Amino acid sequence: MKHAISFILNQEEIQLTVDSHRTLLDVLRDDLGLTGAKQGCDTGECGACSVLLNGVVVNACMVLAPEADGAEILTVEGLADEEELHPLQRSFIDHHGVQCGYCAPGMLIAAKALLNRTSRPHEEEIREALVGNLCRCGAYPDIIKSIQVASRARR
Amino acid sequence: MHTFDYIRLHSLEEVAQHLAQGPGVRLMGGGNVLLLAIRRGEEAPQKVLDVKTIPELRDVRYHHNQGLKLGAAVPLQHLATGLEVRRHYPLLYQTAQKLASPQVRNRATIGGTLAWASPVSELAAPMLCYDTVCYLWSPRGRRDVPLHAFYLGDFRTVLMEDELITHVHLPPPPQRSHGVYLRQTVRHDGRRMIAATAVWAMRKQQNLTRWRIAVLGVDDRPKRIPEAEAALEGNPHPEDIQRALEIVQAHIHPQDVIYARADYRRVVLNALLQQGIHQVIHQLQSMRS
Repeated sequence: MKHAISFILNQEEIQLTVDSHRTLLDVLRDDLGLTGAKQGCDTGECGACSVLLNGVVVNACMVLAPEADGAEILTVEGLADEEELHPLQRSFIDHHGVQCGYCAPGMLIAAKALLNRTSRPHEEEIREALVGNLCRCGAYPDIIKSIQVASRARR
Repeated sequence: MHTFDYIRLHSLEEVAQHLAQGPGVRLMGGGNVLLLAIRRGEEAPQKVLDVKTIPELRDVRYHHNQGLKLGAAVPLQHLATGLEVRRHYPLLYQTAQKLASPQVRNRATIGGTLAWASPVSELAAPMLCYDTVCYLWSPRGRRDVPLHAFYLGDFRTVLMEDELITHVHLPPPPQRSHGVYLRQTVRHDGRRMIAATAVWAMRKQQNLTRWRIAVLGVDDRPKRIPEAEAALEGNPHPEDIQRALEIVQAHIHPQDVIYARADYRRVVLNALLQQGIHQVIHQLQSMRS
């Protein structure tokens, strides 16, 4: 079955036709060329495909594309403001939150979801917010530090 | 992935119409279980019906005389953030913080999680302690089933082919009650559970009463152990606690899994239960009478 859907992606309106069985991740990566969200485990465990769907963090591999109809979606590509990196991105660079980088887009989106609801999270809250994001380099301490510093830098 | 037709539903009548068309139709809440099963080739539905868009399944209502009524399509994240949950059902609130990950909680629904009926369903533990009742609906009518009678074991429930959970109801919580949820898992997100338990009781004058003991990972379903609850009634002495622990051991049937043998799961459950019972007693006794 085909679905004509429209949604807001990184503040831009998108209209396209998708098959029922395709995932939001498939559409982002293959149809729209946004390869920031990664296809890691494809089972909803690793968090590498995290995106914000109507303001809350979800695994895009576990969302059907037609479910995105009418939704607002933010991917890592929409974090930066024109030329300026988002404070989280800046902080990940400054504090080595990126090692191989595969998990970074998901980590950034999960961190963004956390900062949307808690402006100054303590370490335990950051750890809980990242429980669905795996980093196989084991860069967790630097990732947590990056988020802590970014949250302090925000007004 | 296997192809199917995705259909958004807007009323229970629409659910009935589709289900009446025979097999090959599956209901979807958050899709965490169904989409995985389709991807693995274990399920091949022709139609996937999204029930999250049915307005009455998104209801959340709390009233101090009537308790909490939650629609089946309410996401688990609501249980980890809702003010009425935090204030009146703290055991549910605390457990919900530990359920999987934010990504999963934002999608997974209460109804879908209960209907999946996993023996390690962490949502079930606090819900069993709060005497939750499931409202089941089919074109033939509505029936109410207490959660403890909802499970049949091995991922099976009393749900008929044409039936779905529309709501769950938690009775008003008594004053001066306390519960704890304790678990031992291999992974921090709750995967690979060895054993878990929720223990709850209330204080009435000097007595500790209405004990609830729910256990996970040690049988074919999440379950309460009413015989052990009865042994704790009143003001349990160390020998009563010991007896309750022995009764629990006699009523569970843990299985060997790759990361924990059955006898280890028994020992772990025993330790968690002992800790849980003591914590509940301590909290209730330190409340002012």
